[in-house]
Amino acid sequence: MSAIYALVAAGLFGCGLYLVLSRHLVRVLLGLSLVTTAVNLMLFQAGRIGSVQPPLIRAGEDRLQQSADPLPQALVLTAIVIGLALTVVLAAIALRAYRAHGTLSSADIDSAARLGDPHAQDGRDDR
Amino acid sequence: MIGALLATSLVGSVAAWPIGQRLGRRASGWVMASLPVALFTAFLRLAPAIETGQTLNEGWAWAPSLGIELTLRLDGFALLFCLLITGIGALVLIYAGAYLSEQPRRDRARFHALILLFMTAMLGAVLADNLVLLFVFWEATSVLSFLLIGFDASSATARRSALMALRVTAGGGLALLGSIILIGAALDSYSMTEVVARAPELARSPMIVPIMAGLFIGAFTKSAQFPFHFWLPNAMQAPTPASAYLHSATMVKLGIYLLARFEPVIGSVPFGRDTLIAVALVTMLVGAYQAVRAENFKAVLAYSTVASLGILVMLVGLDGPMASVAMVGFILAHALYKATLFFCAGTVLHATGLSKLRQMGGLARFLPITAVAATMASLSMAGLPPFFGFISKEFLFEAQIRSSWNAAPMAVAILVNAVIVGVAGVVTLRPFFMGRGTVREVRHREVFELLAGPVILSIVGLVISLEPAWIDRAVLGPAVAAVYGGPVEMKIGLWHGLTPMLALSALVVGIGALLFIFWTPLHRRLRRESVLDRYEAEHAYDALLRGVQALASRTAKLAGGELRTHLWVIAASAGAFLVWGLIAGGASVRLPADVGSALLAGPAAVALVGLAGGVAATRARSLLATMIAVGLAGLVAALVFLMNGAPDLALTQFAVESLVVVLLTVVLFVMPLHAPPTRTRRERTVDAALSIGFAALLFVVLLDMGAAPQHLVVTSFFAERSYIEAFGRNVVNVILVDFRGLDTLGETAVIALSAVIAWSLLGPRQAHEESAEIPAGRSPFILAFTSPIFFWLLIVLSIVILLRGHHEIGGGFVGGLTAALAFALVSLASGTERARQKLRLHPLALAGGGVLLAVLSGLPGLLRDGDFLRHLWFDATVFGVHVKQGTTLVFDVGVYAAVLGAVLAFLFGFRREAAR
Repeated sequence: MSAIYALVAAGLFGCGLYLVLSRHLVRVLLGLSLVTTAVNLMLFQAGRIGSVQPPLIRAGEDRLQQSADPLPQALVLTAIVIGLALTVVLAAIALRAYRAHGTLSSADIDSAARLGDPHAQDGRDDR
Repeated sequence: MIGALLATSLVGSVAAWPIGQRLGRRASGWVMASLPVALFTAFLRLAPAIETGQTLNEGWAWAPSLGIELTLRLDGFALLFCLLITGIGALVLIYAGAYLSEQPRRDRARFHALILLFMTAMLGAVLADNLVLLFVFWEATSVLSFLLIGFDASSATARRSALMALRVTAGGGLALLGSIILIGAALDSYSMTEVVARAPELARSPMIVPIMAGLFIGAFTKSAQFPFHFWLPNAMQAPTPASAYLHSATMVKLGIYLLARFEPVIGSVPFGRDTLIAVALVTMLVGAYQAVRAENFKAVLAYSTVASLGILVMLVGLDGPMASVAMVGFILAHALYKATLFFCAGTVLHATGLSKLRQMGGLARFLPITAVAATMASLSMAGLPPFFGFISKEFLFEAQIRSSWNAAPMAVAILVNAVIVGVAGVVTLRPFFMGRGTVREVRHREVFELLAGPVILSIVGLVISLEPAWIDRAVLGPAVAAVYGGPVEMKIGLWHGLTPMLALSALVVGIGALLFIFWTPLHRRLRRESVLDRYEAEHAYDALLRGVQALASRTAKLAGGELRTHLWVIAASAGAFLVWGLIAGGASVRLPADVGSALLAGPAAVALVGLAGGVAATRARSLLATMIAVGLAGLVAALVFLMNGAPDLALTQFAVESLVVVLLTVVLFVMPLHAPPTRTRRERTVDAALSIGFAALLFVVLLDMGAAPQHLVVTSFFAERSYIEAFGRNVVNVILVDFRGLDTLGETAVIALSAVIAWSLLGPRQAHEESAEIPAGRSPFILAFTSPIFFWLLIVLSIVILLRGHHEIGGGFVGGLTAALAFALVSLASGTERARQKLRLHPLALAGGGVLLAVLSGLPGLLRDGDFLRHLWFDATVFGVHVKQGTTLVFDVGVYAAVLGAVLAFLFGFRREAAR
């Protein structure tokens, strides 16, 4: 089974990468969301697929018996929520960009370029 | 006591900002000056103790494991600086109150606060005994100098000069830091006292060359020595009171201070004194040459300051006790007369609006008292009796005669001092007394605040030379003893008889008078001469900056201006590293143990559906379809978690997927749903090739990872300790709230901050909010009818999930997301306004409160065990009920609130923006 999960995680990463390489802002952010999912699956697999037992200590016992690895789960859990925050902040930026420029194609957004050359020299002093 | 003074200074400077904004133009300078006056008095009261040869030491632990301590030391030399810093500081503040009287109140308050902060940093630098502490204050003075030079931020020249000063002095500070760290490594101590005491040992260290190089660069940049001198004339962009304070009287002397402190080390290194004297001589010549060429009043003073700083470095370099006497004397004399001249220059600039010396003349008619003060200061600068400058110049020549050096420094010193005499004449006689009628009117006459500084300082310069007993005994004597390392017999007095020094003084004044008489032709002749201009260090600075920028634009080309190019570079190089790693590892891929066994049809099918979702997302041209396809992949991830023993993750992922749909649909419906291709066919092909190649590599890597032996040290630690030490049965939750609580706290803060970002990006505040309402009748009836019931069900559920999280599936993250779903439901059914009413709080307040709660939950542990986020447990039987609860619950409630608040901020923000 772990080969199948590896295939799915790697494949999803590839799909996400393809979307992120696009110039369409919303496709970029959806691609990033896909990449997040793929990475979470990879992290999860770092704990190995095998046990279907959740990492809960059973009543009457004081240590964890055979179960899935809790460590990657703790990492992935916060990563999922952070991924949501990331997606949403990017969506907010995309929305603002669309409102300001009327386009979602990053190739047509040139407000930074219009500010001028960042290396322009300013005036010399008058000693 | 010293620590208390320093702390008072810091607190006072910080408080000065808000206080200053409430003060009128006449009061502000006086009120602000009360702090340095108080400190000056306090230091003066310490003088008798220092006079007896005592050194006051104080210290507190800071980072003991690194050998860094907050150790302060007040000896004679530090006391001299402290008195100068606080005394001149007070006069500068009074002066600035009037000088900036036309500025808005805010700007004046800002200036005063910056000056006071600078004073604190300066005091810290001269009081610090620990070298790392010295460095901290050292760099603080650089930063404050930057802020003061760039005070008029609207001027491009001021900004350029400020950046230049910062780059040079703070860069030199970094060299100093390197030197300090090497010293620490060589001697295992950061205490300046100890380092100096073990100077011969340090001189034998194999790292002595880099140590001295760092020390010299630090001191030379700060004290404007060649070739780093160019920032100082540019720094004259600062308001004149700041120039008087930082760029003549105090900050530029910090490099001299450091060199003087390290003189024993410099003396025990073969090349030490030679380097100092060589650099000093070049600096003196360059300063003198440029002083003759400069046109602006302040520029002339600045270049003469460069020359004076060169003299001071030379005096540190010379050996013999008289060199120390001369240096200490000259520091005092120069601070007194140069600050006075800057004050006078400021008054002239302020009153006339002119900056070039040649445009000025006959100002004594309008500014008589300023003219008198300037004359007295100039006489001191020219080294004429009965002023203190005369005494200090006598010392200078005596030091040179008595040192073991040959005639070269002497010749240069005579020439440079003659130029300084000429400058003294030019900056006083020209603007004030000669050329009557050149200036016909001034914008204002003299006011008391503008006179206090120059008059007091010039009188002090006269009094201490006529009555030298006190200053000699209480300040100069101890200072010299501290620098030289033992008491030095010295006679301060105006008349020493017919000595060689007197003859040299007369020679200098004679040449200086000639220079003054022929100043104008000389000045014109040198201005035409552009040879040295071409080789000025400032050009090297500009060229260096241009080089860095050129390099930056070249590397920028490598990584393109477009996100796509950046990503290509990143993905392609990451892929190349993976391939390299695989080949270096023997190019053999291990396969997981379960590869041969039979597949489970159900889970395999589910997983492949997820992959199909990913592929569909890349093919879809409608954004809605792409979003649904991405969501499909997310749901499959949730199922994978569920089927493999991670119900916590599954719950979280399900909740997140639902929320993503709710949030993104709001966004998508205000955008065009059709996404036309933004890449050419060829670009799409190469992108697909890259993606597939990268995915294939990842697949191989994941297979190999699955076959690698597992290290379970950390996992088994958690498995064994979760219940015994943290009293929780859900190991994932225990890791999150307890073992790795600080990480989780950070992540919670990230979520709350992203809510702040999204909120500030989205829409105007409060405007058009009513229109976010869904008009009556448009919302589906059944949804509208049932949503209140589901709302409360979900809220109760979320609280149950939160509370049982420590032992069963659940926790703060899932709980918060579930509660957010409840509000999302109301928002969909009855409009955002309804959902906001139900929340009552501002979502950001909720998010911030959550983070605060999580932080607070760590405090009991900090207070009891000194260990932040060590959770405490309450275990008792209350009214017959056994209660066992820990601060973990408070932490988890904080996470719950932060997540809920953040998601609602996203939701309300999007709905508000979409409604525009």
